[in-house]
Amino acid sequence: CQRSSYRDTMAAESTLALSLVEEFVSGLQDSKAKDAAKGVKDGKFTVLQLVEALGSSLTSSQPHTRARGVHLLSEVLQECYGDLTEREVLIAFYENRLKDHYVVTPPVLKGLKALTKCTNLPPGSAVSMLRSVFQDIHVQCLSQLCCKTHFFFFSFFSHDVSLLRFPTELKGLGADFVFGFVQSMDGERDPRNLLLAFQIAKNLIHGGYDLGKFTEELFEVTSCYFPIDFSPPPNDPHGITREELVQALRAVLTGTPKFAEFLLPLLIEKLDSDVQSAKLDSLQTLVRNSCLAVCLQLKQELTGLWTSVRREVFQTSSEKIESAGLAALTALTSCLSRSVLSSDSEDSLSTFLDFILKDCKHHLCEPDLKLVWPSAKLLQAACSASTRASHIITVAVMPSLLEQYNNRTQVIETADPMNQDQEEVSELHSHHAVRQRCLSALAAVSIQPSVVQESTPVLLEVLRSAHTGNLAKKMLFLASSVVLTCRSLQRIAERVQDSEEAGRCFHDVFIPHLLSLALQAFVSVFFFFVNAFDLFAQCRAYFLMRCVWLPFRLAGQTASRAVSLFLDGDVSFLPDNSFPSHMQLLKGDSWSLSRLVCLLMGSVCSLPRSVEVPQIDKLLSALEEMSCACSHPLSYTSAAKCFAGLVNKKPQGDSLDSCACPQVAKALLLRYHPLFTTLTDKLFSLLDDADLGPMAADGFSLLMSDSTDVLNRACHADVRIMYRQRFFSENSAKLVQGFNAAPQEKKPNYLKALSNIVNKLPKQVQVTELPALLSLLLEALSCPDQDIHLSTLSCLEPVLVNPPQVLIQQLEALINRLLALISSPAMSVRIASLSCISTLSHFPVLPFRARVLRALAKPLDDKKRLVRREAVQARGEWFLLGSPGGR
Amino acid sequence: MSEGTRLENANPVIFQRSGERVQTASEEDEDVHDPIDDREIFDILSINDPEHPLSLEELNVVEQVRVKVNDAENTVGVEFTPTIPHCSMATLIGLSIKVKLLRSLPDRFKIDVCITPGTHASEEAVNKQLADKERVAAALENASLLEVVNQCLSTRSI
Repeated sequence: CQRSSYRDTMAAESTLALSLVEEFVSGLQDSKAKDAAKGVKDGKFTVLQLVEALGSSLTSSQPHTRARGVHLLSEVLQECYGDLTEREVLIAFYENRLKDHYVVTPPVLKGLKALTKCTNLPPGSAVSMLRSVFQDIHVQCLSQLCCKTHFFFFSFFSHDVSLLRFPTELKGLGADFVFGFVQSMDGERDPRNLLLAFQIAKNLIHGGYDLGKFTEELFEVTSCYFPIDFSPPPNDPHGITREELVQALRAVLTGTPKFAEFLLPLLIEKLDSDVQSAKLDSLQTLVRNSCLAVCLQLKQELTGLWTSVRREVFQTSSEKIESAGLAALTALTSCLSRSVLSSDSEDSLSTFLDFILKDCKHHLCEPDLKLVWPSAKLLQAACSASTRASHIITVAVMPSLLEQYNNRTQVIETADPMNQDQEEVSELHSHHAVRQRCLSALAAVSIQPSVVQESTPVLLEVLRSAHTGNLAKKMLFLASSVVLTCRSLQRIAERVQDSEEAGRCFHDVFIPHLLSLALQAFVSVFFFFVNAFDLFAQCRAYFLMRCVWLPFRLAGQTASRAVSLFLDGDVSFLPDNSFPSHMQLLKGDSWSLSRLVCLLMGSVCSLPRSVEVPQIDKLLSALEEMSCACSHPLSYTSAAKCFAGLVNKKPQGDSLDSCACPQVAKALLLRYHPLFTTLTDKLFSLLDDADLGPMAADGFSLLMSDSTDVLNRACHADVRIMYRQRFFSENSAKLVQGFNAAPQEKKPNYLKALSNIVNKLPKQVQVTELPALLSLLLEALSCPDQDIHLSTLSCLEPVLVNPPQVLIQQLEALINRLLALISSPAMSVRIASLSCISTLSHFPVLPFRARVLRALAKPLDDKKRLVRREAVQARGEWFLLGSPGGR
Repeated sequence: MSEGTRLENANPVIFQRSGERVQTASEEDEDVHDPIDDREIFDILSINDPEHPLSLEELNVVEQVRVKVNDAENTVGVEFTPTIPHCSMATLIGLSIKVKLLRSLPDRFKIDVCITPGTHASEEAVNKQLADKERVAAALENASLLEVVNQCLSTRSI
């Protein structure tokens, strides 16, 4: 009974397989392949049973029927390749089928591909499969076969598994395999196949297959497609783009150094063609090529490449090609920089750079300026490739750049100021532009310490020359170039690599020179007035920057030198000094000398905290005296800032004489010094002073804002977190108290101080603290000072978004004051009040609607557009209030 | 306007919005007088369409070239283009534009809103309605009409 049921099942199984085969082979129903695969997967019948069922169709005399049969088997195998027990038999069967009629070949290849995915393939089977594929598929015939076969053929190889799983075995095939591939690929036209073929070629190259004597063949067969000229047909079903093909081919061509010797002539040839896309593609391929260096030893190739690239940049037809050319030049140069030199060969990098320099250098000196930019671009491109290249180029170009620079100066000097026709002026301008470019180029290349040592003296020379002239016209040009020079120096200081060498260079050469120059400028009669301020700002910023990274030891020395210069008039360390000894720089009453104190500030205030400033007490008292006694604003603020900077870093516990200067107070506030309260109390008491009151109020703004020059973290100042909040919480009560006690005419000072403090607080703190201060702020809106209006309005606006109950009770007062401010003379106040009014429309303010709308009609005709825009917005919002469809 | 009515033009062509006006240095200068210009009026017209969740600019109903302002002679002329020639919303759109301008411009301006010639079937009738001060005032007395206009004019939270 059991046996019969088993037999029944057997019979049922074979019937099922048979019917599926029948429907697939004769009925041409492709979907049955899926059913058959499912049947095998579910265990309804085995692969063997399927083969048995296929028997008649596989042995049919009709090649198409045989193909159909194999097709079904391949489809099934593709789904169920897992752990096939019959794999060896199947491989033998498929290898044998390769000899069959060409119609059968595609499904056979498909089946073989599925079989390669089997686990536990017997050793050697991969090789034997490949060997039969190459042997039995006659590639010559294959090229005449339909695209589809070809596709299967390629996908058989490209399948990662088949190549990656048996690398050693396939490598055994060696050159045969490569040859087979080359032959099969020859003359291929279908983009899909090409894409696959390029991928296989790439795998071959990267997989380390022995290309042997077929290297050139492989290159030929792939490179004949370069540059890719393919535009996908409309409604392309395969979705292959030109870019994909280009990338794939590029990966092959640039994949191995062995191709380089063939590739380079090809690239030069395409570069010299007239086709734009070919040029671009060649240049981009050049950029990508990382193994060119090997063959770049060949001198004539190098010349050819350079000539082509140069032509593209000089006679540029499109920006794209130009930038590709420059990128290619950079890539080439960096390639050459990395190449290994043998003892007998010459340095290919310097040979190559020689070409470049020979062709570009003279353009830099040509007066017509036409090729200056392209040449400069080329040089920059080569320069940026490597340190060695930049060094060679800088050494070669710098002298002529400098010479050029000096020549231009002479041209300007020789220009007769009396003979000012239009032409000359424009010429001067162009020379000026050249000089500016020279300067910025100089600054740009000065990164290496060695270069800095070369370039900075030149810049200093420019500064020095600025002092020796008296023509008004020359001043005009020089003034801007001085500023530019200072900026260049500053840029160098920012970017130069931090090293002992550079630090020493700055310390020994630079700072003395700059100080001396600044001194000269003020001592000399030819002190040029136009840009004194600018020059100062630049110098100072420059000093600050530099000191940030100066090594400790040197920093200390610099500081002590500066201090002794300023305190004792010790000029001994300044170069070529012709100064009277014992100048009184800090005591001088001449304003021009006293403003030099900002140089002192630059030198000592940015020092790290650990560096001790010598004679600090003497210095502090001198500065204090100066800040109180001097009448020139730049001088006394610098002195005060310098004082503050020093106090901020002074070790805790030292005695401090109090000086009610906000700068000092700030220095102490930042570090929570206990003496700080004494100072703020003094500042508060000053608010009652008739003359100093407004200034004291402004002092609060200084206290609360971030300092840009001295008292910040970059200058190693001691800054504690949350110092603003702390100050506010400690002092707001005092302020309110003082306000209430103050006589009427002093109140504005308090309001100003309050709005200054509140304005600088973080928004979150503002929102929580404001309700308590509201009445004071409303008061502030009605005092006459515009600055107070603006800072109060900017405090109020964030609060209005989510108004506290206290505010709702005071709406009447608030709206009255805001409406009054709509006609403020200051545009920013008008804008701010209108924007507050706009926000207010979200409140329960219906009773005010008519009045506000009337008042808002006037700013609609304001003379400033920005005010009108705000007014339109606000009026629109108020119109919607209480109207149907509105709010 | 009632619930359930089908949109007349359910799938309109949508146009790119022009970017924010670039602020110039003279606009920030307190002493310079900035005249009211076409672009400023155009910016005021950022009105919602009554049917679509789009602005009139995005539907190309208003365009900057069809806005003419003469600050010295106190005139503003705006031509608007209904999306389809039979658009029943044309009067409403014109009314919204007119109301927006009335609310946003100083009294001295004479405001003229009309349909771009040749773009609407009942062009003349609509133009006449929009030009008639009393009819506009009467329309705004009508609460339900005012409601729709206000909805067009309220800033949409996105």
